[in-house]
Amino acid sequence: MGAVSAAGGDISETLECFAAGRRNLGKVTLFPSSLDYPVFEVHRPLNGPVRYKSRTIQLVLAALDEALAGARLDRNMSGRRVGVCMGTTVASQLNDIDFYQSYRRDGAAPMEPVKSFLKGNLAEVVAAEVQASGPAVTVVNACSSSADAIGAALSWIRGGICDLVIAGGGDELNRIPLCGFGSLSVFSHKPCRPYDRDREGLNLGEGAGVLVLESEESARMRGAMSDVFVAGYGAACDAHHLTAPRPDGSGLEAAVQHSLREAGIQPPEVCFVNAHGTATRDNDKVEGNVLARVFGLDAKVLSTKGYTGHTLGAAGALEAIFTALALREGWIPASAGFENKDDEIPIGAVREKTAVAGQYAVSTSLAFGGNNASLVIGRRT
Amino acid sequence: MNIAGMGIVFSRGRGVAALEQALQQGWVAPSEVEVRGLTNRLSVYAVSSETLADKTVLAKARRADRFVRMSVLAASDAVQDSGLSGKLDKKRLGVIIATALGPHVTTFNFLDGIIDFGDAAVSPTAFSHSVHNAAASYVAMTLDVRGPTLTMTHFHFAFHEALLLAGAWLQEKRCDAVLVGAVDELGAVMEYACGQKSRPAKDGRIRPFAFSSSPETVPGEGSVFFLLTGEPAGAAYADVVSGVFEPGASPVSAGLMLPDNFGMSGDESRYRDAVAGVARAASYVPVFGSIMTGSAFHAAAGALVLKRQMCYACPVQDNPHGVNICRETVAGPVDNVVCLRLDCRGHGKTICLKH
Repeated sequence: MGAVSAAGGDISETLECFAAGRRNLGKVTLFPSSLDYPVFEVHRPLNGPVRYKSRTIQLVLAALDEALAGARLDRNMSGRRVGVCMGTTVASQLNDIDFYQSYRRDGAAPMEPVKSFLKGNLAEVVAAEVQASGPAVTVVNACSSSADAIGAALSWIRGGICDLVIAGGGDELNRIPLCGFGSLSVFSHKPCRPYDRDREGLNLGEGAGVLVLESEESARMRGAMSDVFVAGYGAACDAHHLTAPRPDGSGLEAAVQHSLREAGIQPPEVCFVNAHGTATRDNDKVEGNVLARVFGLDAKVLSTKGYTGHTLGAAGALEAIFTALALREGWIPASAGFENKDDEIPIGAVREKTAVAGQYAVSTSLAFGGNNASLVIGRRT
Repeated sequence: MNIAGMGIVFSRGRGVAALEQALQQGWVAPSEVEVRGLTNRLSVYAVSSETLADKTVLAKARRADRFVRMSVLAASDAVQDSGLSGKLDKKRLGVIIATALGPHVTTFNFLDGIIDFGDAAVSPTAFSHSVHNAAASYVAMTLDVRGPTLTMTHFHFAFHEALLLAGAWLQEKRCDAVLVGAVDELGAVMEYACGQKSRPAKDGRIRPFAFSSSPETVPGEGSVFFLLTGEPAGAAYADVVSGVFEPGASPVSAGLMLPDNFGMSGDESRYRDAVAGVARAASYVPVFGSIMTGSAFHAAAGALVLKRQMCYACPVQDNPHGVNICRETVAGPVDNVVCLRLDCRGHGKTICLKH
């Protein structure tokens, strides 16, 4: 696993940040904007090949290096049945404002941004970097993109299509979603407070999360069995609204139930839930009610977005990784920003660093378009 | 995996009947558009606004853009065409949409808002519709799909990968049926980029069998959807699987080979060896235009070939390399059709359709 976010430039820094309850947010420094919402930027140096102009790609390659090192693999994977499945939002669009402004103004624009875009499909880039010859797909499912990418990777492995899949996602902090989410009035001017009674909205973030998923047989043959694994994935659509979750939460509940069935476990076997928890009024209310229905009022719930902000296409993968790390470490961090329970949500989030003991945990993702995804992460004992 | 129903929206109309008519009719001249920044008018195969005027099917997509509308109509038609509309368990129905470029027209509209009005005064509607999975969302809302929905991009093989994942979903019983589609649209900026980066066909004819190192293009747009089931059901066009073609591999054995060279991936001479020696080949790319997810349109044509047991004549028959192409529309047994797309390195993917 490899993780880059405002919480840390790698997994070790991230755990340190979680343990300290530190929240590294501030003003936007990456580009000029008249919007002054606080954001979570990544401040570690990104040293990927200069041919990749996209910050998203640089973030992903940084996480990829950490993930490959952890899996004891190098970048040359030719000869193996390797797939790549990456989620993103920003990197899928030709949204270069300078290019477009030039075209609009002059009827002509340098083609470099177009060339860069056409060479910058996230999955194609990662596949080229690791010389993967299997399927390569960039999942563009908005905020559940990388959770769904992990789900697709699981299907490839279970279907015998691949022995190993590089899965995850990334998104840079970018002016387009900053303006877009701003127009939807979902930002908070303060540090976000997932699940809190007085939550005011989300903070945008950036980052990348990459997992090396491998079939048990392949890992055993390499002598590289991991102690954590993806046990189940469920996805279901709300078929309700482009930007708002279905009020009864039935889509999310179906996704969670499917993931539990696929993992072959019952809700009491889940020792905590790493919720999507964006800190918007709607998301947390719908999600919290679903989690209470499925896991009961005593469920341990947290949102790590208080440490990373909402990293959009990276969120599902980063949070799956944080979930796996918590199972491994035996603790979850305080759900940063949560103080007061909301009467409209039957459950609250954890207020302090909390010990967890168990084999399974769930990570949920909700997205524009009515996508709901749930991943069950397991730990071998 | 079985194609139980099919829907298509393209420059020649909407639905399987329009596809069949277009394949029988052959090549027609594209329309011409003025593109800011290009000195010559550009030939394109654009979907007309009349084709997208269906207030009933699009009732839930009134505010949606062309990208969404093309997708919703094609997806809805695929379900109707299958005859399975009332029989599908919507909680066990999935949607996978493949696109190369996404809803870029709406993305640029959103950028207009930033440039003209500033960061704090942009349109939330434009933003929410600029997200790639808006089309899948509208498909789900229109058809009340409650299973998994996924949108994916790839510049060469998006539709092939969508088929592969659909097969996995059916195999692992995640879904009973999957709506798998492709969509890409025309727009001024992309037309400008296309005019700069590729060689527009001066006479409006794409010549697939020229296997040119600098091929000519006629940009196109549209959407194709298949309703796929694990077992034969509904209108049952063909079995379909996505496969891999390695550089230097033996020629693909096919009753009918449809090379997917569409003019936008540079040098097409690498197709020559892959197609050499096949029993019969055809290309219907000149009917659809140059579309990055064009393999889906070719697969739709191939499915119709198998269903009708009819090899439609190549719409443009320039054939300097002597490939055994379909020169006339003829009835006759066709057991399988293979669509072959190669990337710029010569790596390829196939869509194999079997009767």
